[in-house]
This record gives sequence, C-alpha cells and structure tokens, in this order.
Amino acid sequence: MSEVEIFDANARVISVSKCQGNVYKAILGAPEVASHAKPMQFVDILVRESFDPLLRRPFSLSGIEPSEGTIEITWAVVGKGTEVMTRWQTNQRVRVLGPLGNGLDGEFFEVADRLILIAGGTGFAPLFPVAKTARHFDIDTTVLYGAKSLDLIMDTQPLERIGCKVHIATEDGSQGRKGLVTDLLRTEIDISTNKKEDKRQVLSVACGPQPMLAAVKSQLSDTNISLYVSLEQRMACGYGLCQGCVVKSTQPEDGYYRVCTDGPVFPASKVDLERE
Amino acid sequence: MDLSVDLGGLVIDKPVIAASGTFGYGREYSRAGSIDWFGGVTVKGTTLMPRHGNPPLRVYETSAGLLNSIGLQNPGARAVIECEIPWLSQFGVPIIVNISADSYSEFSELARMFADCPEVSALEVNVSCPNVDSGGMAFGTSPGACYRATKAVRRYWSKPLIVKLTPNVTNISEIAKAAVEAGADSLSLINTLVGMAIDVDAKRPVLGNITGGLSGPCIKPVALRCVWEVSQAVPIPVIGMGGIFSARDALEFIMAGASAVAIGTALLVDPYAPKTIVEGISSYCESHEIDSLSSIRGIAWK
Repeated sequence: MSEVEIFDANARVISVSKCQGNVYKAILGAPEVASHAKPMQFVDILVRESFDPLLRRPFSLSGIEPSEGTIEITWAVVGKGTEVMTRWQTNQRVRVLGPLGNGLDGEFFEVADRLILIAGGTGFAPLFPVAKTARHFDIDTTVLYGAKSLDLIMDTQPLERIGCKVHIATEDGSQGRKGLVTDLLRTEIDISTNKKEDKRQVLSVACGPQPMLAAVKSQLSDTNISLYVSLEQRMACGYGLCQGCVVKSTQPEDGYYRVCTDGPVFPASKVDLERE
Repeated sequence: MDLSVDLGGLVIDKPVIAASGTFGYGREYSRAGSIDWFGGVTVKGTTLMPRHGNPPLRVYETSAGLLNSIGLQNPGARAVIECEIPWLSQFGVPIIVNISADSYSEFSELARMFADCPEVSALEVNVSCPNVDSGGMAFGTSPGACYRATKAVRRYWSKPLIVKLTPNVTNISEIAKAAVEAGADSLSLINTLVGMAIDVDAKRPVLGNITGGLSGPCIKPVALRCVWEVSQAVPIPVIGMGGIFSARDALEFIMAGASAVAIGTALLVDPYAPKTIVEGISSYCESHEIDSLSSIRGIAWK
C-alpha cells in the first residue's frame, strides 16, 4: 500500500438531506480529501468541537467528486454523534480526517472482468463510488441490494443510469424479490455457473451487517468468485494508532487486523466473520 | 522561547510527549502529523514475546472519556528493535520505549535487550497496564512489587528510567517512593483508571475483556490530583498525563508539579494536538512573561 498523506480538512457543509427512514446524507467541501480518496475509503469526522461526543466518527464515502472538490457521506442515526450531524447547518465547518483505510485501488479494477456488488441496508451507499469506477473501466457490474422494506431502499437510479444491473430484495416483499440479498446472490451464482464464466475474473464486494457478510462469504466459498468484504468496527482514532478496531484473522498466527488501516476492505478469506 | 526540560537525564526540547499506546511506533501517526511536534515519543507497550491482544470490542466511548482494552498487542521486543526503532530514529526525536512484563526476570531481559539499542533514549517501565491477566498493574499496586520491577530494569539499564504509575491504588505516593528508592530517574502518571460499561440491550459488558482502562478529559481531575500529590512527595521529575487536550490543561499539570506532560487520547482525536499544545504553552509564557517553565512548576502546591 502506498503511503499517502492524511489530511485534517476544515470541510464546509454544503448540504444535509434526509434520504429515508433515519438515513441522512451530507455533501462536504473537502478538495484535498476528494482528490486523493479511493472507493471504499472512509473519513473520520469531528461532528462538533466538544467533548460530547469526544471521539471522531468514521463514515464511508458514498460519493467522491474530485472535480467539484466534494465528498458525500450517508449515515443512519444510531447515537449522539450521528444525531448531531443531522443538525449541521449549510456553510458550517467540520473537521474531516482522511482519506483513511486501504480502499480499492486501480489494480482491483484492472483485473476484474465482471463485478458483483452486494449491499445490505446502508451498506449500499459506499458501493456507489465502486460502481462508478467499475463502469469507468467498462466492467460488467451487477448490484444486489437487500433491505428490510421499500421505505428503506435508497435511490438506485443513478447506478442504473451508468449501466449497472440492479436487483433488489426486501424482507417483506414490498419491492423487488421477497427475501434476502443472499437469495439474489444464489441466482447470480447459478447464472455465473451456467455461463461457464470460469475464464472471466469475477470479483465481488460486499458491504452490510456482519451476519450478511458471513452468509455471503459461505455462499461464495466454493465458487470461483473472489469476495472482498468491507467491515465496520467501533473505532477510537481511525488512523491506526490505538489498535482498537480489530477483526480476528482466519490465521491464528496473525492475531487481529485493524479495520481502519489494514482494512476496511479485506479479502473475505483473511477475516473471521463469525463474530459472537 | 526555550521550553526544554530535563527529565532525570532525558532532555527534551518541548515539554509534550506522545503517551504510550496512542502513538503505535509512529508510522501511522507520521502520515497525519509530524513527529517532531513532540519533545519525545513513547512507543506502544512492548513485551518480550509478540502479543495478539484482547478480543473485540476493544474501545468504547463514555461521557468525555474512552474505555479501552487493547491488551498490549505488539510485535515483541525483537521486532521492535529490528524494524520499528531504526525507522522511528530518523526523526531525531528522543524515543522512550514502554516495556511491560509478566515477571521480574522478563523486565530484566527487556532491559538487557534495549541496552544494546543506542537509538532508545529512555525506558518507561509499565507497572500499570490494567488490561492483561498476569503482570501489568499487579507490579504497580504494591510498593514492594514496584521496587522489584524497577530494580530489575535498573540493573541492566543505565540510561534514563521512567516508571509509569497507576492511579488504581490507595496511596500513589507510597508506590512512587518505592520506584525512587529502586533508582527511577522520573515518574509518569497516570495510566488509565479501571472501568467498565454495560450494554443494557444485550445485558452484558460492552468490552470483550469486560473491564478496560478509562482515559480522556473525564479523568483529568484525578490525574491532576495524583501529579500534585506525587510531585511533592518525591525528589525526581514527574511527567503528567490524563485527559490533556489543550495548552491550558497542560499548564494545569505543570502548575500541579509536572515537569512535562504526555498526551494520549487527544492524539486519537486530533493529530495536530502536540503542535497546538506546544504553541499554546509558548504563547502563555510570553504573555505572562515567564522565562522558564521551572518558574511555574508546582506553583499550585501552596
């Protein structure tokens, strides 16, 4: 991994908008972060200058626009930090540390012939920059998106517009197929097997809740589709100092990996997803 | 202005040090901040053999504080000496190695190993880690054990020796005096306070290791009281730490009797903290016409 500088940007809040349910998104002006960020990297945000909350909060990038000098983040309100962010005012300044984590680099996109992006819930948002880069490289891209119900589905049209195939599953059947994202994946694996895609390099990236990632990993384990997972963990610093945000390696001799600097993207085979 | 201080033979040009466990071995920090913003850097608690650390969850925010239970994850002394110290030494900032052990003989072994490492300026003997089963804090909660642990290092280590104390004791000055008797050149305090948090939905402790060490602004009054007390009880310099986020926080510690301060949790939030704090101390001194930090050190004792 190349050693890129990490910026502590004094970012300008351009807009904050409510998407659906308790999910919000914000566009932030942070040119230095936008021009260096890769898909699946994240930023660590001081949501306000106070000891409440004390630590920064980590967010994946759901949009990277180097030409505009902006980044976008999408979040669900889950606690004090994420609640404070819904009250950000246009033009106020917030400190944004980033870009952080490994992300997906050019090499990833160069080797892929076909890409399957697997999203659960708000895990859909950070796959946007991945899909965009993949289409830029003209990679055949399919997005499988699972959510609880229609009212929690984020807008998928921007992905369709850039030529991604999008398949949706909802647990209550209110949109797309009734079931889980893993049901969509089963169909995709069958297609892949029937088409004898053995010679094509099929890669997949999954982002969503831990149980979903574990299920996807086991589904893809005996296929020739390589899986990468993007992990979440409670973080203190977000830039590799504290060793707090760890995930267990599948190799006992390797102990733990830091999600913030060794990840957040890992080849699924390297990490133990059977948490608890 | 000249902000240099002498910490029992360890001379640093700025009174702000990176606290152990919040700086790793410097590589990650150097991508976001500048290592020479510090007067000295204390690297991650290092043990004789590599340690994988504790199971997650390892960090959890509480009111104005942070609970952690990392469990001394580190690559072991050999790897630190071969891979980390040579890299870190390129910055010319004094390197302090925090060492942790399960036994007195292991402390001696670590001291012997680092004695052959000219790039290391000082050892900080960790008798205060709350997150490991054996050793750790046990050495820092009785004067006798603290004396023996310090002595075990002193025997093989002739350069500056710092002992890092825990606040989880009835009488911290007694422990401090034991360290002085065993030959410590300076003391650093405080390490974290033992604490815990419970997830009421899951109905169980939040941290994988159940208890952890509490740090951050919420512990500052406790740390300040410990520094105020210990610095009056012993004749050697004290490095104060515990929730320092600003220059004014640092000045409080100096006025309580600290010769220098270390910052930990603040680094996790703000890579620029050492720069801001050093500049703030400097401008305070200028505006109050203070020539040397020694003139305000312990000024709050009376």
